Amino acid sequence: MAEEIKYILEVDHLKEYFPVETNFFGKPTAFLKAVDDVSFKISSGKTLGIVGESGCGKTTLGRTILKLYEPTSGTVIFEGQDLSKIKGKKMQKLRCDIQLIFQDPYSSLPPRKTVGEIIGEAVKVHKIVPPEELHSYVINIMKQCGLQKHYYDRYPHEFSGGQRQRICIARALAVKPKLIVCDEPVSALDVSIQAQIINLLKNLQNELNLTYIFISHDLSVVKYISDEIGVMYLGSIVEKGNKKDVFKNPLHPYTQALFSAVPIPNPKEKMQRIVLAGDIPSPANPPKGCKFHTRCNKCMEICQEVTPEFLEIEKDHFVACHLYDNYEKKDE
Amino acid sequence: MKKQNSGMLSLKESRKISKENFRITKEFEKNKKRKVDASFYTTTMHNNENVIEFDDLHTFFFTDLGVVKSVNGISFDISKNSIVGLVGESGCGKSVTSLSIMQLVQAPQGQIVSGEIRFNNDTLGLDEEGHAKCFDIVKMPTDQMYKIRGKDITMIFQEPMTSLNPVFTVGYQLDEVILLHQEGATKEIAKEKSIEMLKLVGISDAESVYKRYPHQLSGGMRQRVMIAMALAGNPKLIIADEPTTALDVTIQAQILELLKDVQKKTSASILLITHDLGVIAEMADYVVVMYAGRIVEKGTVLEIFENPLHPYTIGLQKSKPLINSDNDDPLYSIPGQVPNPINMLNTCFFKDRCERCIQKCETGYPNEIKVTKTHSVFCYLYEDVKEEVK
Repeated sequence: MAEEIKYILEVDHLKEYFPVETNFFGKPTAFLKAVDDVSFKISSGKTLGIVGESGCGKTTLGRTILKLYEPTSGTVIFEGQDLSKIKGKKMQKLRCDIQLIFQDPYSSLPPRKTVGEIIGEAVKVHKIVPPEELHSYVINIMKQCGLQKHYYDRYPHEFSGGQRQRICIARALAVKPKLIVCDEPVSALDVSIQAQIINLLKNLQNELNLTYIFISHDLSVVKYISDEIGVMYLGSIVEKGNKKDVFKNPLHPYTQALFSAVPIPNPKEKMQRIVLAGDIPSPANPPKGCKFHTRCNKCMEICQEVTPEFLEIEKDHFVACHLYDNYEKKDE
Repeated sequence: MKKQNSGMLSLKESRKISKENFRITKEFEKNKKRKVDASFYTTTMHNNENVIEFDDLHTFFFTDLGVVKSVNGISFDISKNSIVGLVGESGCGKSVTSLSIMQLVQAPQGQIVSGEIRFNNDTLGLDEEGHAKCFDIVKMPTDQMYKIRGKDITMIFQEPMTSLNPVFTVGYQLDEVILLHQEGATKEIAKEKSIEMLKLVGISDAESVYKRYPHQLSGGMRQRVMIAMALAGNPKLIIADEPTTALDVTIQAQILELLKDVQKKTSASILLITHDLGVIAEMADYVVVMYAGRIVEKGTVLEIFENPLHPYTIGLQKSKPLINSDNDDPLYSIPGQVPNPINMLNTCFFKDRCERCIQKCETGYPNEIKVTKTHSVFCYLYEDVKEEVK
């Protein structure tokens, strides 16, 4: 029992399939496996970074956790409660605890509302503070996120990308969440603004003991902000572990290639680059066996037939790859 | 004028500005269309080894809110057979610089106001003093520009998804370039050349890709097709405007390798525009850093990364988390944001965000200070350094 409370969120064999083809009677015959059997746990106050290329299901995973999509199977347990069994008003209350920050600050703010209304709306609905304190409460949140007081009556179009992202963060924080899913919060921003937002997110985490699921394709950002990292490929997590373990000793060939592909801003340091051939296969028709075998440079015969299991190779370091099937035995 | 401070314009003011703008832009448009003798737009290069020389280029946008000085006096050279990187944040004018070379700035409101872009395509020979004759793109009329654009200077755009025409096959679009620019080309020759180009950019089943439509290709493949198209006219200069921003990391690695490879094979120069310092470090020989329409620092890639001088360059490098470091300290971030490009004051543009701002920064934009032969910086902090070097 004690162990269960330790984790704020447990995701167990989560699957999210979208029907892409239906037969004559409207029954789905083919699925796009956007999230395919994903399991992880996060303890309170930590950050889980999820990296992967576009189309690998990072965003869908984030949204399924929030129950914006009804999961096909599997469970999401938030603070000991199974989200799939909670419905109606109870779910609405829980929504306060889990919030989402979107990627594009230009399209995720309503253009006809002032900043104060945007941030205060959910506070009003969920009755976080009594109505007479609403104004001062919102101003307080804005101050926390680095927004000036007089922005209260302004409209989103008057702000730059970085400021808008601050408004989005303030909106998410206003309902006092415990878990925030950040879906590429900095990828639409410039480098100098990116650093401001990352620092803000980190400071807020320390102050309010927030838990983040940080979804991004930018490996250096994920590395900086996360405690744990999950690498996704075609709907599944192929490697997961402590930040230091994963970056120092990447085990899965995909992770190795992904890390080596990141250009380093140092002209003297030319990395030994593993260039992957080809593109990501379509998730509607993934390859048989290990999904990565079509692009893998260490592909073996077994990879084309058998799907590798997600095994714990080192302490808290999981990988799904046939290369490590006999790894532990070797160690002994 | 009082209201301009609040960022709002009255209808009267706005109308006055747009009337004035119309007058100015009409004049520019007229100049572009007139028929002139070739001698009018030929000049000589300052250095024969350069393929392009920018000299005090100004490109302005005449909007209803005022004049936006997107490119405000930049000068740099691209030498033959090299990759020059142009870095800066969004809105700093790097794309407008590249569009100016192509004369593709959104007209009529966007106009090259003054300056020279000297383009050397090696066909005009030398003058008496041994300087290579060249075209001045700024003065060139539009009908002459057609002959250069897409042939000697080509461009790879950011969005491979939108820059190919969806209703024509890849082959048709590639053939078009060759048929337009290669004299005496027939359809058969064009097809042969197109397939050769597709093979050059690493597409293995070139013949089948030739027949396909853009929507049938993935993002990386489309970008390859774009590169093939850019190479089809045997260009002297390829402008790559954020060629990998829309792509994934692993695909980005492929495309960067390809660009390097292609550059070596064709010995064309590349002007690489990007906001990613990592890409610059990997690719470029020479780096130009832009901020708010002006160059703040330029130098060879080693100079910029090992000995960055301008506070903005230093800030940019520090604010990016590194994948190969384990540092958990708060990231350095440049305070504030890019200034509003309308009605810029005549001071150092970076002064409001600069931590090392001194009193002199208020007194007009700093001059170029050459630290070494190749490295120059626009900042008052280094005025003394200049003397030392001398």
